This record gives sequence, C-alpha cells and structure tokens, in this order.
Amino acid sequence: MNATDPQEDISGKAYDLALALRLWQFIRPHRKVFFLSLLLLPVHQLFNLVQPLLIKAAFDAVGAGDGFTLLTTGVLFGVALLAEAGAFFFQYYLAMLVAQRCLADLRIALFSHVQRLPMSYFDRNPVGRVMTRMTTDVEVLQEMFAAGAMNLVADLVLIVAIVSIMISLHLEMALVSLALMPFLLLAINVFRIKARQTYRLTRTRIARVNAYLGEAIPGMAVIQLFNRQAKSFKEFDDLNRDHRDAIQRSNVYEASLFSMVEAAGSLSIALLLWYGGGEVLQGVVSIGTFVAFSEYIRRLFVPLRDFSNKYAVIQAAMTAAERVFELLDTPVEVPGRAPAPAAMMSAATAPAGAMPVGSASAAASPPPAASSIIEPSRGAVEFDDVWFSYRPGDPVLKGVSFRIEPGERVAVIGATGSGKTTTIKLMSRFYDVDSGVVRVGGRDVRDWDLDSLRRHMGVVLQDVFLFSGDILSNLKLGNPDVPEDRIRAALRNANAEGFVRRLPGGLQAPVRERGNNLSAGQRQLLALVRMFVVDPEILVLDEATSSVDTETEFLVQGAFEKIMANRTCLVIAHRLSTIRNADRIVVFHRGVIREMGSHTELMEKGGVYYRLHQLQFQEAGGDTIPPDALDAATDP
Amino acid sequence: MAGFARLIEYLWKYWRRYLLGGLCLVATTSLLMVVPWWVRGAIDVLERGDPHSELDGYALWIALAAVGGGVLRGVSRSIIFNAGRNVEYDIRNDLFAHLEKLPLGYYQSQRTGDLMSRAVNDINAVRMLLGPGFLNLVNTPLYLVYAAVFMLAMNVRLTLAVGACLLLLALVFGGFRDRIRRASLRVQRQMSRMSAHVQENLSGMHVVKAYVQAEPQTARFSELNHEYQARSMDLARVRGLINPLMLALHGFTVLVVLWYGGWLVLSGQTGVADLVAFIFYLNVLAWPMAAFGWMISLMERGRAAMERLEEIFAVEPSIADPESPVALADKERGLEFEHVSFAYNGAGNGEAVLRDISFEVPPGRKVAIVGRTGSGKSTLTHLIPRLHDVTSGAIRLGGVDIRSLSLEELRGAIGYAPQDPFLFSTSIQENLKFGDAEATEQEVRRVLDVADLQSEVEVFPEGIDTRVGERGIALSGGQKQRATLARAILADPELLILDDCLSSVDSQTEHRILHGFENVLKDKTCILISHRMAVIKEADEILVLEDGRIVERGNHESLMRADGVYAQMYRRQQMSDELEEM
Repeated sequence: MNATDPQEDISGKAYDLALALRLWQFIRPHRKVFFLSLLLLPVHQLFNLVQPLLIKAAFDAVGAGDGFTLLTTGVLFGVALLAEAGAFFFQYYLAMLVAQRCLADLRIALFSHVQRLPMSYFDRNPVGRVMTRMTTDVEVLQEMFAAGAMNLVADLVLIVAIVSIMISLHLEMALVSLALMPFLLLAINVFRIKARQTYRLTRTRIARVNAYLGEAIPGMAVIQLFNRQAKSFKEFDDLNRDHRDAIQRSNVYEASLFSMVEAAGSLSIALLLWYGGGEVLQGVVSIGTFVAFSEYIRRLFVPLRDFSNKYAVIQAAMTAAERVFELLDTPVEVPGRAPAPAAMMSAATAPAGAMPVGSASAAASPPPAASSIIEPSRGAVEFDDVWFSYRPGDPVLKGVSFRIEPGERVAVIGATGSGKTTTIKLMSRFYDVDSGVVRVGGRDVRDWDLDSLRRHMGVVLQDVFLFSGDILSNLKLGNPDVPEDRIRAALRNANAEGFVRRLPGGLQAPVRERGNNLSAGQRQLLALVRMFVVDPEILVLDEATSSVDTETEFLVQGAFEKIMANRTCLVIAHRLSTIRNADRIVVFHRGVIREMGSHTELMEKGGVYYRLHQLQFQEAGGDTIPPDALDAATDP
Repeated sequence: MAGFARLIEYLWKYWRRYLLGGLCLVATTSLLMVVPWWVRGAIDVLERGDPHSELDGYALWIALAAVGGGVLRGVSRSIIFNAGRNVEYDIRNDLFAHLEKLPLGYYQSQRTGDLMSRAVNDINAVRMLLGPGFLNLVNTPLYLVYAAVFMLAMNVRLTLAVGACLLLLALVFGGFRDRIRRASLRVQRQMSRMSAHVQENLSGMHVVKAYVQAEPQTARFSELNHEYQARSMDLARVRGLINPLMLALHGFTVLVVLWYGGWLVLSGQTGVADLVAFIFYLNVLAWPMAAFGWMISLMERGRAAMERLEEIFAVEPSIADPESPVALADKERGLEFEHVSFAYNGAGNGEAVLRDISFEVPPGRKVAIVGRTGSGKSTLTHLIPRLHDVTSGAIRLGGVDIRSLSLEELRGAIGYAPQDPFLFSTSIQENLKFGDAEATEQEVRRVLDVADLQSEVEVFPEGIDTRVGERGIALSGGQKQRATLARAILADPELLILDDCLSSVDSQTEHRILHGFENVLKDKTCILISHRMAVIKEADEILVLEDGRIVERGNHESLMRADGVYAQMYRRQQMSDELEEM
C-alpha cells in the first residue's frame, strides 16, 4: 500500500513559458475581460503612485505655512484614493471572473478528457492521483489568479516607474536608497531556484497522501478485519511526515526571503537618513521630499516582498499546470476511424448524441453497410489471430480466432484467468490488441466510432457498479427520455419487480456510492434490468449470474431467453447449465482456444468439454469428485 | 465553535514552539515599531539644524534594528509556519487513526470523495489558520498597541483622530466577517460535491465506458462545475471588496493626519517630525490592515474547515473495545447466535434485515447458509467480526459474547473472505501478508497454492511481488477472490467465514480449492455461503435464510427429506444440470 510510483519523479525542467502559453489557450476565450482587468492595473497603480507626490506637496505646504494648498492637496489625495480603490476592486473582480471561467472550462476539458482515456490508464493510475489532478491542482491555478500572480509583469512596470520617479525627484538620494536592490535581486534568484525544487517535492508528496487515503477509506473494513490499523497508520504516517518535512523546508526558504526584503526596506530608510539628512540640512531637499522617498521605498518593497509569495504561488501553479496538462496530453482511446454503419443503429439503441468522430479518414474505410442488419457473411463478432497482454511479455490471449454469426449464441468457458473476460474487454475496445484483428459487424473495432460500438453491446460485467442516485436513475443511465413503461417492462422481464417494490421507496430507493447499500446479488439483478432497458444488439454476459443465488437465477433464466432471442450473444459462465442453450461453445485454456463447436459436437469429440460435462453431471449426481480428475479435465 | 477545543489541544501540544515563535515575533515587531520613533528623532535633528553626527547615530540604530529584526523575523516565521505544519500533520494522522476506528456502517453512509476532501482541503485550511493566521493574530494587535503608545506620546488629539478612523475600519470589517464565512462554506460544500462526483466517476470508469455514459456524466459534472463557479464568484465579490476598502480607509487615515496634523503644525501645536512619524506609523500599519481581509477569510475558512473535520471526529466509534475485555479461553471455540436481530440504522429504512437468528456451530464444524439474494446472508457474516453490531440478541465465540472481547482478539480469531474482494495497490505478497505480517515467503506460496493461485502468480513478471493495481485491478475477478481467500487462510484463524468468496471462480476451480482446503479446514470452525449446492451440501448443517429468518435447517439429507425450500433449490440446480444431457 505504498503509493510510490516512478511517474511522480521530480524533474527540474522548466517549461514555464510553454505552460503559460497553454494556459493562455484557456484564457483566450475570455480575453476581453482579461484585458480589461489588465488595463485597470496601470490605472490602479497610477493613482497609487501619485499619492506620495501629493503627500510631499502637503508637507511642503505645511513647511510654507500654506493652509489652502494643504486643503486642496488633501482633496486631490482623497480623489486619488477613491479612484485607486475603485480600479482595484474591478481589476480583482474581473481577474477572478476570468479565473473562474477559464478554470471551469479547464475542469470540463479535464473531465471529458478523462472519460476518453483508455482503461489501461486507470489500471496504472490510482483514483486518488487522478482526483488530485482534477480538483486540487486546478484549485492551485485558481490561487494564482487570486493572489494576483498574473500581475507580476505589472509589478515590474511598477518598480521601473517608482525608480524613475525617485530619480527624477533626486538622483543621488535615489541611488543611495536603492543601493541594496542588487543584493536583494540576487537573493531572490537564489530563492527561486531552491523553491522550484521544494514545491515540486511538496506536491508530489501530497498526491501520495491523497492516493493512500483514496484507497484506505474504501478498504477500511479490510484493514479492520485483519487488525491492520497500526500498520496502515504507520504507512500513512510515513507519507504524511514526508510531506510535512518537504513543506517545512520550503517554509524556511520563504521566511528567509520575506524577512530579507523587509529588512532591506528599513535599511534603505537608514541609508536615506544618513545621506539625505545631510541634503536636508544643506537645504537642497525638503522634508516633504524625504517623506515622499520613504513612501516610494515602501511601495517599491511591497511588490518585492510579495514576490516571494507570488512566486511560490506561481511555482505551485506551474507544477500543477504541468500535471494538469500532462493528464490532458495523455493519449485518449482512439475514437475510431470511421462512423458506424448506419444500419447497426437500431432505433432503440441509438441516442441522439452518437456523433461519429474522426470521419476525416472515413474515405480509407469500407463504405457503410446497407440497410439490413449485419451482413451475415461478415459475422457479428470475429476474433482473427488476436494476441493481447496487459503487461508486456505476459500474453493473456495467444492467437485467438473465433467468429460469432449474427443472432448466434456463443458460450465461452474456461478456467479463471484463461482469457475469457479479456475477450469482452477487447470487443468493447477497452484495450487494443497487440496483433490480429477484432471485428464487429465485419469491421475492425478500431474503425468504429467508439461510442456507437459500445452502444451496440450490452455488457454485464463481473463487478456490477451502480452510480449514487436512485434505482431509476441507474436503470435510465443518463438518458432521461427512457419512458417509464419501458423501465417497468424491463423490471417485469427480469423478474425484478418484486425486489424493487420491496425496497424503501421502490424505484426511487436511494443508491449510495458504488451501490454499496445493496447486496452483490441485488446489484447484479439491477444490472440485468439495465440490459433489458438498453436492449442492445450484441449481448455480452460476463459471469452475470454467478453471485445471484439459484432461486433468483432460475427466475432470471427465462428472461434471459427472451432477451437473447434473435440477438448475438456471448456468454461467459462457469456453469454448464447457463450455456446449455448456446449454439456454439468456445473452450478457453490459458489464452488459447482448446475446443469449439456445438454441445453435441463437443460431446461426440470427447475432449475437454466432454470431461467437464461429465464432472458436472457426476457432481449433480451427488458423487464427490476426486481433485485429480478436475486437474485432468483442464490440464490434460 | 465546534472543534475549538480540539484546536486548542493541538496548539497546546506545540506551545513551546508557538511561544518561542511568538516571542521572536514580539521582538521583531518591537524593533520595527521603534524605527519611526528614531526617524522622528532624526527629523527633529534636521529641524533644529543640529550636527550631522547625531543623525548618523539614528541611521545606525535604524540599520541595526533592520538587521536584527530581519533575522528574528525569519526565525519567527519559520517557527510559527512550521508549527502550523506540525499541527496539520498531527490532525491528518489523528483523522486517519479515527477513521480506522469507525465501523463499516459509517463508510456505507459516506462518500469517499467527501471524506478525502476533508482530510486534504479542510486540514489545509486549518493549517493556514494555525500558521499565517496565528502569526497575524499575534502581530496585528501588537502593531496597534505599539502604534497607539508611540502616537499618544507624540500627540493625543491626532492619535484620537487616527483611532476613530481605525474604529471605522473595524466596523466595516465586522460586517464582512459573516458574509465571507457563509460564502466560503458554500464554496467548500460545492467543492466536496464536485470531488465526490469525480471520485465516483473514476471508480466506475469501466461502466461509464461500457454504457457510453461519458456524456451524461460530463453533463452532470458541468452542472456541478457551474454551480461551483457561481459560488466562487459570490465569494470573490465579497472578498474583492475588502482589500480596496482597507486601502481606501488606510489612505483616508493618512488624509486625516495630513489635514488635521498639518493644521496642528500650522497652528504650532505639534512639530513636523511628529507628523512624519505619524505617517511612518500608518505605513507600518498599512500591511496588517491590508492583510486583515485576507486574514479574516483565512480564519473563517479555517473555522468552517475545523467544523467539518469535527463532524468526523465527533462520530463515536460505535463498535469499539469493551472497557475491560474478556480474554478468550484457550480451548476449542464454537460459535453461537442467540436470538440475533439486526437492522441497519441510517442505511436503508431501519427495517430488520435479520430476525431472531439462533444457531450453533460446534468447534470444527461447518455450517452453510443458503438463501436468495437479499435474504441477509452477507449481513449475518458481517456481524461475526463486528463489522456491524447486533440490534438485539447475542453472538458468542467460545461461550463469550463477542462484545466482551477486544476487537483485536475477536478479529484475530476470524478469517474472513468477503464477497467483494478488496485488494490494495501493493504486491500480491504484501496483500496476503495482511493476514499475517510475519509470514514467510514460503507460507505465502503455500496459501497461494491452497487458493489455486500459485501457478497463475508464477507466470506474472514479478511473481508474488507483482503489484496488483488499485483495488487489485490488474487481476481478474476470480484471481482477486482467490487472493482474498489466500489472505484469510494465511491468518490461520480458528473461525473461517467464506462469504460466497469464490463466486467469480468456475465451479471446478472452486471445488478443487475447497477440496484442497480440507487439510487447512480440518479442525476449523467454518461458515460458508455459496450459491453452488454441490459445495453447500457437504456442510454439517445447512441454514436456509429467507427475508432474514431461518426457515429451514438440517443437513443435506434431512433437508432433502423435508422437501422444502432447500430441496426445491437443490432440485432446480440438479435439473438444469440434467437438462444438459438432453
């Protein structure tokens, strides 16, 4: 349960400019507001910078004993204040508006991108890590906008403006009070390099804490059952401590820089007094000028002091952006090279949104099939010398070839791990084959539009997953237009009416996260009902009835017959009873097909299937089967 | 405020650091606040036209204060911020430890994403409160006191004028406090909702894909996202007002000093040096004033976050060790259910799931439970390791009520292989060692063999050290189930509960496993749930569960003779097998 992963390694490369450009792509649609906000910055600063001059004028008026000028200068000062505050508010508000809009866009882009990532991505990346990308990292980008980090350039202009004003007021005094600047800039640069590394480390480590939590929370019952609390706590503590140590190191850098800048501010005042005092004594400059200088020094050091904060925020944001874009750049499932043959879209299964993607290369693909259902000559599903491995060098399917004719019912049997479930995953293109071709409707699955491919297939997976909501929303599955009577009919067909009626609230009964307030059997029953609602052309059942007890299964069996009629079916089951009505049986063993044929053919052949069947019969007859006989059946 | 006491506890734990950091901070601020006073002295010198040497003295003092203050500031910030990080670390650890104590029922009523958001985002908000928040909380009043003292020393009336302005500022601020708190609470809630949706979507990705649910899922996310955007803008509107307001009010105070102070100078009631010093003091106050808004939102956020954390901490672990646990007697222990009834509280409608269940499993015997979906079989097995507690009645292990045992002893005596296999994203070996951390590699291989997994694991690239991915995603359903079975066997428990734990395994493998198992099982007490009658019928006693009640009991033969529900179920399976022969 430790969440280390080579992917989280720290690489010090700086892509800041490239990243900023990519961020710009998200700001671009809101650029009018963005520019308006930027435009308000100099306005805000102008009214700010004019204030020390007005203070100087006020002091000079006091020095000259001119009460009227003091009064009018004060009025001007007040006007400058109000203008500054107004510009400040609108500038911030508009910046946040841009931030919220473009981050909302970014979140949507991320979310819909993640929807299209291949399953293999989710095999490699814990949910917690992907979550961090989609929520925490995006939040960090928001902080960047909120902290005014985008104003760094404007800060630079501000610094130049202040220095210019100071020089124009009094060159030598300006030089003296700015004497510390070079040292400060040097310190900032050293800090920048150090900080970059620690920030990366920090974010990597918090992601690990997240990943661990994301696993430990749903797995808490297991931790408790095995009395693992202390050990799990220790593991969590290690990750948590690593994160703390990294961030504490960066805190020290940050504090050092902050205090250096602050100290420099006071030191400059000392220098100003030491040098400028003489000038005042000599009557060259007024006390007003001295006060104005001190005001400008203060204003000069504010952006410098905040620089460390802003820089921290920008660094965090850039690291976050890098990760976010890395996720956005992860290649998605290839959506398919051509639109689906229109004929396969039966009215019941084709929702309006089934837009073909990648039609640009349609010319390279065979023309769409004619208006009939799948052309019989092509076969509904075809595996042609398919090789596949989840991990390189560990093939799960080794040259599998078989064919399911339209309307045919094929049962796939074999020991666990023999590759049965993998065939389904390849059919729905959760994964792509290493070599060979999987065809659906005579067409390479890679040539299909992914969505229409999957809409043609009704899959009941091993682990039934329900979404939180209620029973009805799970049966409608995101399509609110499904009429109520179709749901009722489906419930009737699956013999699930009684079960749903008994639930508190019936169809409106709440379903919690992953459907964990329902038993595995109840979830499976609902998955079956879902099939009746979806009414797919090709039906794929993966051990769908394995957890449903015999009683329920017996009821469902009749319904299965109904839904399987005139439909291409692939059934993976462990019990011979489930496949007795199959047209053809495919026997898998360790990634290869050992036998194929109808029940009668296989029985006559007297091979693996025959032996399996004999064993099952013996079992039903009440005899205990010697274990070596079972081994002999699967491992001849 | 809920959770306030807990917050104080954490602060107290690090009181030395906070004290040291606070002292450094006080020293820093003292040095900083004396600078304008020296500036005033210097200006005085200038006004009087005294010799330059005295001016150099002031300049030197200021320079020394700057350097000393700088060093102390660095130290105080490091200490205080790092103390905040220590508390963050502690809270996160404590939260995890607390979560480890909460029963299954709690997790069934909570969303993982929401819990995670609290453990990460809310703790971070609390950390901000205890780091930068603490610093400003100490600093701001200190600044004000110092400024007041020095200002009063110079000119009482001008000080009162400045004080009036600051009071105005405090009033404006009070008005904002509540609005910011409410707005940020709404933002955080929405964030939680959004996170929970993402979490669920990611966990169910295979279903999203298989059922082409990307569009509706994205549409739902889009709704949540827009709501979040709207709530965030509500917050930005309030928060955006604070800084300009503070700025304007600060500037207004400067204006008051210029006008009123200027008039005082003109009428000879105070010196220019005082006026300069006032301006300097106001400048020092500018930062804490400008940061006030930030600080308040930080405190409000921290407070709201602490409340949300307290909601978790406040959940009493309803299933916990008894005050003085009884030790299990060192003899063979049977299991006994006596008039056990159970109803989920919160989950479901509180209707009884199990009613008046009584049975006994003598040591070394095997009891099988059958029944239709939702009849309460799994719930019954959950009660034995106290994942849930009985609503009434009692369960006894070796004659002792399981509620009198320590959880560790109880669970240590039980090997549980659940229906939904849950593996952690570590290696196969590490997962198995959940059962027994000290197990040798040889023992691990032996249980893998018993679970009929050894040969499959061997071909994995890294053998038993192959990582199984999150929730064991790299394994097939059957492999996962067998791995969880192996995990339970490795624990070498006296009582083994197999809750339909081989449902994804084909019947021959299941049979092979259960037969190979006989050595392992021989003197173990065993509770077995399966939908395969061939497995069930060999049990010493079979219980038939219907709607949470035991409707039939007996061994295979007697139940067949009784010709009830069991016989019907059995014949049905047999019939389907026979059909095949035709």
